[in-house]
Amino acid sequence: MLGKFFSALLVSCCLLLSGAVAAHSSGWQQAKHLKAELVSEYQQVMPGQQLWLALHFIPDEHWHTYWQNPGDSGLATSISWQLPDGVTVGDIQWPTPQAFSIPPLMNYGFEGPTVLLSQLTVPADFRGDQLSIRARADWLVCEEICIPADAEFALTLPVGQAAVLSDSATAVIASGNSKLPIPLTVSGSFDLAGGSFSAAIRGLPDVDFQQFFVAATELVDHAAAQQLLFSEGEWLLRQNLNTYFTSAPEHFELVMVSSNGQGYSLSLTLADGTAEMLATTSQGLWFVLLMAAAGGLILNLMPCVFPVLSLKALSIAANSGQRAEQRRDALWYTLGVVLSFVSLALLLLALRAAGSAVGWGFQLQSPWLVALLAYLLFALGLSLSGVVQFGLGLMSAGSGLTQSKGAKGSFFTGVLAVVVASPCTAPFMGGALGYAVTQPPLLALLVFVALGLGMALPFLLLAYLPALAQALPKPGAWMDTLKQLLAFPLYLSAVWLVWVFGRQAGIDAVAVLLCGMVAIAAACWLYGSWQFSRAGWSRPLLAALLLLLSVAVLRLVPDSTAPVTAATDAHWQAWSPDKLAQLRQSGKPVLVNMTADWCITCLVNERVALNTDSSKAALALYDVTYLKGDWTRRDAEITAYLHQYQRDGVPLYVLYWPGQTPEVLPQILTPDTLRQTLERLSSQ
Amino acid sequence: MKKMKLLALAAAAVFAGSLAAAPQVGQPAPAFTVKDSAGQVHSLQDFAGKNVVLEWTNHDCPFVVKHYQGNMQQLQQDLTSQDVVWLSVISSAPGKQGHVNQAKSDELTSSRGAAPTAVIFDEDGVMGKAYDARTTPHMYVIDKNGVLQYMGGIDSIPSAKVEDIAKATPYFANAAKAVLAGQAPDPAVTRPYGCSIKY
Repeated sequence: MLGKFFSALLVSCCLLLSGAVAAHSSGWQQAKHLKAELVSEYQQVMPGQQLWLALHFIPDEHWHTYWQNPGDSGLATSISWQLPDGVTVGDIQWPTPQAFSIPPLMNYGFEGPTVLLSQLTVPADFRGDQLSIRARADWLVCEEICIPADAEFALTLPVGQAAVLSDSATAVIASGNSKLPIPLTVSGSFDLAGGSFSAAIRGLPDVDFQQFFVAATELVDHAAAQQLLFSEGEWLLRQNLNTYFTSAPEHFELVMVSSNGQGYSLSLTLADGTAEMLATTSQGLWFVLLMAAAGGLILNLMPCVFPVLSLKALSIAANSGQRAEQRRDALWYTLGVVLSFVSLALLLLALRAAGSAVGWGFQLQSPWLVALLAYLLFALGLSLSGVVQFGLGLMSAGSGLTQSKGAKGSFFTGVLAVVVASPCTAPFMGGALGYAVTQPPLLALLVFVALGLGMALPFLLLAYLPALAQALPKPGAWMDTLKQLLAFPLYLSAVWLVWVFGRQAGIDAVAVLLCGMVAIAAACWLYGSWQFSRAGWSRPLLAALLLLLSVAVLRLVPDSTAPVTAATDAHWQAWSPDKLAQLRQSGKPVLVNMTADWCITCLVNERVALNTDSSKAALALYDVTYLKGDWTRRDAEITAYLHQYQRDGVPLYVLYWPGQTPEVLPQILTPDTLRQTLERLSSQ
Repeated sequence: MKKMKLLALAAAAVFAGSLAAAPQVGQPAPAFTVKDSAGQVHSLQDFAGKNVVLEWTNHDCPFVVKHYQGNMQQLQQDLTSQDVVWLSVISSAPGKQGHVNQAKSDELTSSRGAAPTAVIFDEDGVMGKAYDARTTPHMYVIDKNGVLQYMGGIDSIPSAKVEDIAKATPYFANAAKAVLAGQAPDPAVTRPYGCSIKY
């Protein structure tokens, strides 16, 4: 009895002597229901070469071997190699698999002649006139029953000055290559929620995909139906999770198969929000920090800072004997500058925290904030243009204290440089402030540190490389020209913000905003002319009134924004606790959808089940207000709302029907979920 | 949307699929009422107060053969001697590979020195599908309260080679030991490996 299985289990392993068969093939090994050979692309190889090795299977008709994820049963083929030192071989390049359905089970594998390619690398310093390759392959071949087997293969290839292709191997290698999925550089995201796997992939070739294969084992329920949907430029996939699913790898291969059988392979990455947020910020982070440092550097060229820098440069050049002291001073100065910027950032963050604590959140999504930032950048631009000077008072207050000596003196010189330079730096600081209020605290802090380091950089460089002093330009009129020139980027930034505001609030609101900007210009002009004469209080008073007016006109805007934003997407409105409470009090049915940009499950649900014509019709029929909350930045109010429903994450769908307890919808929505739930609730 | 390929059927199937509750560790094990090789009827509730092991088997499957070199018999003896109920379940449909009659079943038990409490004939596959059993072998541990505590593979190395048993982490044996000690197995769910069940 057992002997019978053993004969099936183990295929006799006859090691072939080199020369016994053609050098490019190990020769066929006959196992039960399958014969196998190992084939080399080249019959002679040379050092520094890469070549394909093919494990070539010809199973009996209707028998199959398995893919890297064999599905519900079965076993992936494996090869273990024995190679000379320095020679390396890559993983098996899996062909596009086929699905074998044996209800209720599903397997992934290969029927008919199958070529498993692996890439061999011969090192450039390979010595020896022969390359001996040994491979042990383990496979499971199944029809209805399964037979595991293994075999050893040996190949000996001569090594020469030139590589010689093997004519007889060409067909096998080509057939192997033709069945490989086309590798794509696009990468998709997946997540797992509500017992389903959901993925979104952008940038796929324009073909009709019919099927997908997940390479991770025990992740999807292989036999469950696959959903493939192309919507708004991306392919959305969904399949139930495997009963034996325990944890998902961060990345795995996905093979998508088109209607003509061509496979495409790509990598899927777990989208868990945190990774996504880090990815999006760290991508731009270095650029932002570099720009901040460059901004800090430019501060030194401003008329109020550069003369100081020049003096410092001269003194350094003159006193070459006190190098150590100069270096220490430069470091203290740097510390002073950086700490000043950091405290400014902390102050700002504290203000922001206080602001959001009273429900006054800073969000770039808010047209109000966009309008105020547009005012700020415009005013700062006017300041650079010379219409008005901000921070003159601070300059005169601090100038005396920069004379102090020693470490403490240097430190406070740094602190004061920041303060003293404010008439010129304020415009740039304004830009940085504007950026920082919309960013996570850590990023805002980093930006200010970079700004400080940039500003202190010339002093540091001068202390360590005194020769640079010669390279510094002489102070002069060019400094003022530069300052005025730098006003224009600020004007352009203001234009951009006006455009953003226009997108949010419409063309009427833009007219209001532009009127406000005219009022700002008038206020700056009045205040600027008063700065020179310091005569009378009418001009600053009028300027203040104009400033108030410019802010007050924005009060006209919110009323007009609501219908405009609603019109652009009549189907939903932004969620807020107040809005929800109001709607519920007035006895209206409400659908709440908590979502986030990085939540793939949310995306698929919206496209499959919420943004469809039938769901829109159902919402209209039952007069349901659809509120959407965006948790992309982990908004605290939404977090609290999620906790109310014992959830730590999105998606969350809650349907409020007047007079009934709120109904939480499943995390995986089908096209009919919403309509059916509404039908049921309305008839209760 | 020229490629709007939403398969309504697929969606319906997904929905229907999620209604048929899959077995879940920590939840009551799916109920069953089945006949053993001697024609005797067994129900899960008959074993209340006892730990129960379910082993899906197919005597011709090389992965089963691997473990019937002694490993499986040893586990059966160890556990049944500690008052564990061990049910070897055959879900092969009549006419399919691995389906056996009473005589063959008894012969297999005695020739292999197997020691299950009973050999279950699940010819219609109802019990197998309720447990989402996929492979032979496929192991489950149910505690005295009828709660499913373990489901998955017998060990960590999916191969048909006897010599791998000693190298593998014995997931199932560890799980059974934990349940006997009143603890929750870790891991409680593993990848089942072997031949497909011939439903």
